[in-house]
Amino acid sequence: MARPQNNPNTKRRKITATIREQTQCRFCREGKSYVDYKDIDTLQKLLTNRGKIFSRRRSGNCACCQRKVKVAIKRARFMALLPYTA
Amino acid sequence: METAVKRLYEGMFLVDSALAAQDWQGILDEVLRILNRAGAEVVSLRKWDERHLCYDIQRKSRGTYILAYFNCDTDKVKGIERDVQLSERMMRALVLRTDGMTQQDIEKATPAETQPQQDTPGDPDMANVPPAAAVDQDIISEADDVTETV
Repeated sequence: MARPQNNPNTKRRKITATIREQTQCRFCREGKSYVDYKDIDTLQKLLTNRGKIFSRRRSGNCACCQRKVKVAIKRARFMALLPYTA
Repeated sequence: METAVKRLYEGMFLVDSALAAQDWQGILDEVLRILNRAGAEVVSLRKWDERHLCYDIQRKSRGTYILAYFNCDTDKVKGIERDVQLSERMMRALVLRTDGMTQQDIEKATPAETQPQQDTPGDPDMANVPPAAAVDQDIISEADDVTETV
């Protein structure tokens, strides 16, 4: 029996070797165990234009650092260094 | 039985810029009064920055931030926050433990200190002087004077 050749449901998956340039998040690379809420320039990069926090997928942070960033941003917002909403 | 533990804390105090420009020494005295009331030993007290607030607080759009490091009993920190809320000069304060912070983080130059350096990069005399240490000593020596008189 002949094998079905052009079955649309069985797509061949392309195997591509993806090499990640950076295997660690920006804070792990710097070797910092503390995310400073006063470091506005760094925290500003992790916010959208509307002042929302970027997801881990977008920011590239590890889970541990994302939690620290979340706390730091909320502290900065309380001190009016960063906006709650813009 | 309770045992009071002393820890190093970081306190950021937000005051109105107009008020700080008018009576800077009075603002510093107010911060010191609040810290002394809680029995805190002030390690350093300096201006962090003067900037536009991201949102209005008490109808003020500009604020001056004062950064203080102090050793304090753990159970007295609540009193500092309460005193700040009662104070009419203070707009807001944030007191945090400095557990995860390194000495470098604590001694890091503030934006208020780095900004004038960027304006005058070619000044060789200013480049040799460590601004953070100089400002700290000045303010603390003033602060000591104040506490003695009070």
